[in-house]
Amino acid sequence: MTDATAPIGAGQGSLIQQDSRTAKRNAAEKRFKMYGLAAVCVGIAMLIMLVTSILSNGVSAFFQTTIQIMVELPEEKLDKSGVRDPEVMAKVTTFGYAPLLRDGLQKTLEDNGIETELSAKDAADLISDESVAQLRRYVLANPELIGQTIPVEVLASGRIDGFYKGRVTYESAELDSNVSPEQLDLAEALKGADLLKTGFNWRFFTAPDASVTRPEAAGLGVAIIGSFYMMLIVLCLALPIGVAASIYLEEFAPQNRFTDLIEVNISNLAAVPSIVFGILGLAIFINFAGLPQSAPIVGGLVLTLMTLPTIIIATRASLKSVPPSIRDAALGLGASKMQAVFHHVLPLAMPGILTGTIIGLAQALGETAPLLLIGMVAFVREYPAGPPEGLFDPATALPVQIFNFTQRSDPAFVERASGAIIVLLLFLLIMNLTAIFLRRRFERRW
Amino acid sequence: MNDMRLTERAVGTQTTKITARAVQVFYGDNHAIKDVDVDIADKTVTAFIGPSGCGKSTFLRCINRMNDTISVARVEGDILIDGEDIYDKRVDPVQLRAKVGMVFQKPNPFPKSIYDNVAYGPRIHGLARDKADLDEIVERSLRRAALWDEAKDRLGEPGTGLSGGQQQRLCIARAVATSPEVLLMDEPCSALDPIATAQVEELIDELRQNYSVVIVTHSMQQAARVSQRTAFFHLGNLVEYGETGKIFTSPEDPRTESYISGRIG
Repeated sequence: MTDATAPIGAGQGSLIQQDSRTAKRNAAEKRFKMYGLAAVCVGIAMLIMLVTSILSNGVSAFFQTTIQIMVELPEEKLDKSGVRDPEVMAKVTTFGYAPLLRDGLQKTLEDNGIETELSAKDAADLISDESVAQLRRYVLANPELIGQTIPVEVLASGRIDGFYKGRVTYESAELDSNVSPEQLDLAEALKGADLLKTGFNWRFFTAPDASVTRPEAAGLGVAIIGSFYMMLIVLCLALPIGVAASIYLEEFAPQNRFTDLIEVNISNLAAVPSIVFGILGLAIFINFAGLPQSAPIVGGLVLTLMTLPTIIIATRASLKSVPPSIRDAALGLGASKMQAVFHHVLPLAMPGILTGTIIGLAQALGETAPLLLIGMVAFVREYPAGPPEGLFDPATALPVQIFNFTQRSDPAFVERASGAIIVLLLFLLIMNLTAIFLRRRFERRW
Repeated sequence: MNDMRLTERAVGTQTTKITARAVQVFYGDNHAIKDVDVDIADKTVTAFIGPSGCGKSTFLRCINRMNDTISVARVEGDILIDGEDIYDKRVDPVQLRAKVGMVFQKPNPFPKSIYDNVAYGPRIHGLARDKADLDEIVERSLRRAALWDEAKDRLGEPGTGLSGGQQQRLCIARAVATSPEVLLMDEPCSALDPIATAQVEELIDELRQNYSVVIVTHSMQQAARVSQRTAFFHLGNLVEYGETGKIFTSPEDPRTESYISGRIG
């Protein structure tokens, strides 16, 4: 150390000049930062692409073109008996109502001085087939209207609706057997007379699914109810079971081979493809336990099985992160183990548990594959009843409804599917925001 | 503190609070405590000293059965408090820990208010009949821990917001709130600065009037300052146990002497 020749070490030399190693190190750091930044930018670009593509396709689903017409409801056609008994009136099927709408449209055109070369039938094609059933339901619900002429707001058919959303043009109509340029002219004339309007589509949230030929009538009502029921079941089952299992495993269970085995299996279950849970649900809940197909109860149970590992892993992690000194403090004061856990450990672990639960729920909400296997992919038009009976009624779920929409050929369903994706993403966003809010709130306590 | 010297002298004749006979502790295959016999007197401060890993904390944790929480730990031998074997099958460790309070090395207040920290023990043991009663226990405990003057205006604030020394005194207040008979302290001052240490030491000396205090410490000066009797542990053995003055001035065992003079440890 007392050598005359100065040793060449890291601490030698001028501080003003960067030596080659430092320069190299700084360059490496700069490069690494650039890579990171590039990765973030690519991620953001992908996200923007995804959101724009979904929004550009789907926003139009929230708007719907309707036509205002005057419809006469003649007694001799709708209720010959004259007693206004809905049961008797129900004998008149939609075939009895179809001409009313056709005539009503003709009359409305005449009243407003709109002339067209189209036959009455071709003109009536502007109106959705669904409107006939809608009118029938409306009249059966309000029999006192018979004999009057009432204003009715009917759905425009999918092609006319698409014309006002830019999906259908005069050029495409030339080639399309479902719509003609003349019909588009008529629609424009109706719009000129302020009878055809495009407004916010509330029915998209409330109406049930509709048949392949009536995209304009398809909605998410049943899917939203089904998804809500399933989330309710998952929350009511997975949260208490998951938290209780985690507390037992983390705080009470002895450390031995058996608990190790359970631990490994829980971790494995979290990685099992969801469709496997679907097969399990089909075998156990439907074939063995005899629960109904397509029912939210079965979907909820399957999703509970799927969510449990997620919740258990999250809960155990947050229980583990509570410092052991807190447990010692409580035990040292003579608290029982349960008191220590429930008074001190659990409140501190709460934010983590809630976050894990909501992430598990969000995962379950977006899950499609297992639901396909238990029959929730069915075409369901009847709303399920209120809980608890409704849990056993057939229903669909949001992601399955999206899957269903994308299976159909009519381009109007592309718009519906994208709209449903927007709804699903909104729900997920709300759930994640709730998770963040709850976490902040519980953490802010100390 | 006139009686202080009196107790110091009377230590040999005083009633024995804790008796340990042939205590062995195993952590799995590791034999952590080997055949320890010790008699701890009532209303005395007993210090356990020794190098790190010598088993003094382990032995301390046997006295309130905190080792039960470690699944691999196994305790053999007898530890008697007031003649009752605390490892008897009929003894509920929860009940035992209400009688044998503990203060830990790192201040570990609950993330709750100062008031709730102190009131927690009395609440779970049902020591207070009503709110006024509980208020009184909290005040008395905080006074005893010399924290009342600093904390009386901020009882609702979180205990974790106090300084390190205050937190440790809060932990002492929390431990004495349940009126234990024995108070175990596991290096209570190791995370504190000299001023806070002095306050806590003063406190320990006062606590001696009511409790049998057992303190584990790394600081020999501290052992000399606060304790009446000292036990020196080395590699799991109780090497020497006797009156503090004697241990520090004329130890019998050469190992004790080399530890005290700084040659080992």
